[in-house]
Amino acid sequence: MIRNLNIILIFTSVFMLAGVYALKFSIENTASERTALIAEIDSQEGQLSLLKADEAVLGQPGHIEPIVRRHEMALAIAPVKQEQFGAFAALPMRPAKPNSAAMDSLFESLAAGVDPIDAILELEGIE
Amino acid sequence: MAVVGEGFGPTIALDGARKVRGNLTQARIRWMVLAMLMGFGLVGGRLVQLGMVVPDSTIEGQARDVITATRPPILDRNGLEMAVDIRVPSLFAEPRRIIDVEEAVQKLRTVLPDLDEAWLRNRLTGDKGFVWVQRELSPVIQDRVMRLGIPGIDFITESKRFYPGMNEASHILGSTNIDNQGIAGIEAHMDGENVALLQDLGLARGNALAPVELSVDMRVQHVMHEQLIDALERYKAVAAAGVMMDIHTGEIIALASLPDFDPNQPASALVKDSFNRITAGIFEPGSIFKTVTMAGALDSGAVSVSDQFDARFGIRFGRFTIDDFHGKHRILSLPEVYKYSSNIGTIRIMQAMGKEDYRAFLTRMGFDKRVPFELPEMRLPTVPKDFSEVGAATASFGHGLSVSPLHMVAAYAAFANGGNLVPPTLYKRDIADTEPFYQRVLQPSTSDALRYLMRLNALEGSGSQMNKAAQGYRVGGKTGTAEKVVDGRYSASKVTNFFASAFPLDNPRYAMVIMVDEPKAENPQSGTTAGWNAGTVTGRIVQRVAPMLGIAPDFSEVLDQNLVPPALR
Repeated sequence: MIRNLNIILIFTSVFMLAGVYALKFSIENTASERTALIAEIDSQEGQLSLLKADEAVLGQPGHIEPIVRRHEMALAIAPVKQEQFGAFAALPMRPAKPNSAAMDSLFESLAAGVDPIDAILELEGIE
Repeated sequence: MAVVGEGFGPTIALDGARKVRGNLTQARIRWMVLAMLMGFGLVGGRLVQLGMVVPDSTIEGQARDVITATRPPILDRNGLEMAVDIRVPSLFAEPRRIIDVEEAVQKLRTVLPDLDEAWLRNRLTGDKGFVWVQRELSPVIQDRVMRLGIPGIDFITESKRFYPGMNEASHILGSTNIDNQGIAGIEAHMDGENVALLQDLGLARGNALAPVELSVDMRVQHVMHEQLIDALERYKAVAAAGVMMDIHTGEIIALASLPDFDPNQPASALVKDSFNRITAGIFEPGSIFKTVTMAGALDSGAVSVSDQFDARFGIRFGRFTIDDFHGKHRILSLPEVYKYSSNIGTIRIMQAMGKEDYRAFLTRMGFDKRVPFELPEMRLPTVPKDFSEVGAATASFGHGLSVSPLHMVAAYAAFANGGNLVPPTLYKRDIADTEPFYQRVLQPSTSDALRYLMRLNALEGSGSQMNKAAQGYRVGGKTGTAEKVVDGRYSASKVTNFFASAFPLDNPRYAMVIMVDEPKAENPQSGTTAGWNAGTVTGRIVQRVAPMLGIAPDFSEVLDQNLVPPALR
């Protein structure tokens, strides 16, 4: 009985020893991974801060203006003048439509086969 | 030999030595098993207990070095970055771990030739655990130093302040020292407020800080800065400065003072004359102060816009006679006094009000104390406590007292906005937040009359040069040419010129003061009075910035006619 117990205990010990060692190494591994990740995040945050600073520089009006000035000639651009501003209220009214009622009625009667000139000609006795 | 029978005691059985040993061993093993079980049980229980503990992860990431303590980014009113933090490597050494100091010195100097050899050798010798070698280097230098492979030399990442606008908003932003603490401008003010506290508490880490929004519009700031640089060249002036303010909220839209400095190189701020002329400079304001006199007299009811004043002869005070520059020497109406900038007429208007009342009005307008403002660079104005007769007379046209341009812009804002003195601010805020700070100094009718006078001066008076450039934007203002005191006397050739203005006057929104110090005539046809320099600079600035501020040009004359007070129609 005791021999069996001893064997079981020895095997258990060996297994547990192996397990603890494996756990220890895997934890060390994870820790070093974590450290590497922190370092990477840190360096990327650093790079990001530089990129953001770069972006801020590029967006400054003081940075854009010289570029605009350099290409003023090629692009034919210039600062806006007061006269170039307009408003909807400043637009002239649409001109009045010509009175086309008389013409419309003439065309309608012609289409209906009645030529108003015939009546005048008849009255004058021509034809 | 064996005796058997009733009444005998229990049988005495004697175990053999072997059996006894066997029993003892079994008992021992049982005890051992029990002890081991208890031991394992203890370990297991502890494991379970440890497994139940919830780790406090809130502290994670905050345990980073104190040195990366950050400052909140500063944004302009449209969200453009004015100041950001960047991470830069800093070089340090651990002298006790350096094996060969001489080798380390020689190698380091191949990458950083600026370092003094003797200083560096001294620095790296000894038994210290940490010394800075050079802070805030570039990643390229870091790479090259790392490649040298010197033991005991390493880098640490630090936060450094970077100002993408370079010089443009230098006097607003100020700068920070190498430990990322504000030493000037709004940076110093922010530290006074809360950032220092947050850093002390260890909370200002990473990017957790909410950005600070300023009232400044970088587009307007850029135009003002650029036009002031142009003015320095054009008029060969020694200095120029300008400030623009929203008259309803008190927000400073732009503030520039030349010569200035690059906040990325704080040492450049030490150059002579680069102080902030808007807040920390006090000047005799000259004729722009006549508007203040007009405001006080009109508001007291002592004079009205339709009154006439005798400006035929100079006014004598003992040995002195005060006369007009380009005088008309006739009876002038009040608008004419303003338009021709008549000293005589202004003195008469002040006298109609009474010098005590006039002095009290200056106190009411805040000319006795500093303007409440965020920038730490401020100077007290010097206005005499009591005016003598001649003192009051010269004060009425802006001589014999010194105030900052910030005082003047705050006063002009009150003149244009209906009579409320608004404390200026560099932080973004809206009207609702500002109204509790309003301090009524004028009746709205006085403000209306002043707007008319300012616009009249632009149309017919000394502001016409300005108006030519800013046609359609309904700008009005007053010129001021203050003679400088040289060797105890007023000098006619050295002047400080001002133009104080507000626009668009039919519905005023912004007030502006432009200063040009010691200008020369641009060409033989022009002069050195304020209309020629400070005035035209104002006109050019308005012409550029009005569209950015959402003000459309309008040429209709009815707008100007509406400004005329009923008494003069």
